[in-house]
Amino acid sequence: MRTLVIGGGHPAYFVINAVKESDPGGKITVIEFTKEKAEVLSKTFPYAEVLSMRIDEVDDYIRSNSVVLDAVIPATESDSLNLRYAKTALESSIHLTITVLNNPLNEEIFRKEGIKYIVNPFSHISSKVKEILGTYHVNIIYEFSRRNILICGIRIPDTQTLNRLLDALPAEGVASVFVTVDGSIESSIEKLSIGGTLYLMGERDKIKKLLKKIGGGAIHGP
Amino acid sequence: MDISVVFPTKNRAQHVKRSVRTAFKARNVREVIVVDGGSTDKTVEIAEREGARVIVQSKLTYPGKGVAMRDGAYLAEGDIVLYLDIDIRNLSPEFIERLAEPIIKGEAEFVKGCFERAAGRVTELVAKPLLRMFYPELAKFSQPLSGEIAGLREIFYKVEFEEGWGVDVGLLIDLHRLGVRITERHIGYKDHDMKPLHALTDMAYQVAEAILKRAIEDGVADRLWAQQYISRLESIELSEGYV
Repeated sequence: MRTLVIGGGHPAYFVINAVKESDPGGKITVIEFTKEKAEVLSKTFPYAEVLSMRIDEVDDYIRSNSVVLDAVIPATESDSLNLRYAKTALESSIHLTITVLNNPLNEEIFRKEGIKYIVNPFSHISSKVKEILGTYHVNIIYEFSRRNILICGIRIPDTQTLNRLLDALPAEGVASVFVTVDGSIESSIEKLSIGGTLYLMGERDKIKKLLKKIGGGAIHGP
Repeated sequence: MDISVVFPTKNRAQHVKRSVRTAFKARNVREVIVVDGGSTDKTVEIAEREGARVIVQSKLTYPGKGVAMRDGAYLAEGDIVLYLDIDIRNLSPEFIERLAEPIIKGEAEFVKGCFERAAGRVTELVAKPLLRMFYPELAKFSQPLSGEIAGLREIFYKVEFEEGWGVDVGLLIDLHRLGVRITERHIGYKDHDMKPLHALTDMAYQVAEAILKRAIEDGVADRLWAQQYISRLESIELSEGYV
């Protein structure tokens, strides 16, 4: 497979590595606009052919090599250029065009222009953050520095956490109040249900022991 | 020769419709490009509805004028790229035609627009003295920081755009260094929103930095002196008391 990667910055660096890993025997051509950067790229990626050319020469290169190119991956640090080269590749009937986004806000604009494969590195950030936050369901609301008292909220995400809480409560020296999904406040432990939040206030050591029992990470604040 | 009109913008929903429509009315305008800096109002929606090509800045940074200008130039397909502020209340098709005229007539490859108004404080107190000192051949420009410019598309591929407020003077010096034919064109009265004073401090600093960086590269400014100048400039807060 012959792949053309356009750009020599941060996004291109990851693209070139990914292409090499997924297609070790393929031929990779990299286009960079500044000679100095192209020289550095040649040393960094000795297996790739690195070309230095002007911004306005790239479209012609894509068109004139469209017969031999299997994939074009515009990965410059400008979304305008990535869009422009992706469109040229599409118009030249390149088999596969994958475009890298620098700004996630441009994803819809790219799609409207007919770009099918868009790599949005920022989507990974939001999904990963959500994933990590999702596993942390205990929120330490306040720890009194002079008194041995702690207040925390525990979101009940699943049956496992619910059962653990029902086993651990009531606990001596710990007061509790439960807020259901629809916002009603309950003081009875029997009303605990998935999706609600249990607030505990009591001696620090007792609450920490209880948290350890039910498992789950804690977010400290405020 | 056809023209790509580029409007770098952010949260200017109230100006978009009129500016885009006016730009399309000018002779030789092939396309209007709105480069958005991450608006939270209806700027993008209105621009698209009015037929402009829209792209969001590749990098959302403040001030990101240079990023927006670079994205505009790279997206443009016209022979001439012409930049305008989107908040010019008296924008007319003639405004655009006058700015592009020297290029269409083959008299210049890059045109700086100038207006009927006193030049700004950063222009008079920072840009002009430094240009006179290090690039006296550019001191003839009455408004070297003007953002109303036009140039052959290809010349914008030969330079690197400063990200912030230094972009306009940076382009002027870089294109001059490349031997591009530059002229200044009077384009009338400009009625637009003035920058608040606090924004001028950053602007002054970035303009000075753009000029001095190039002067050091060209061996016409002493590095140590330039660093001291910039650090002193950074410590000045332009406030009402200085006006």
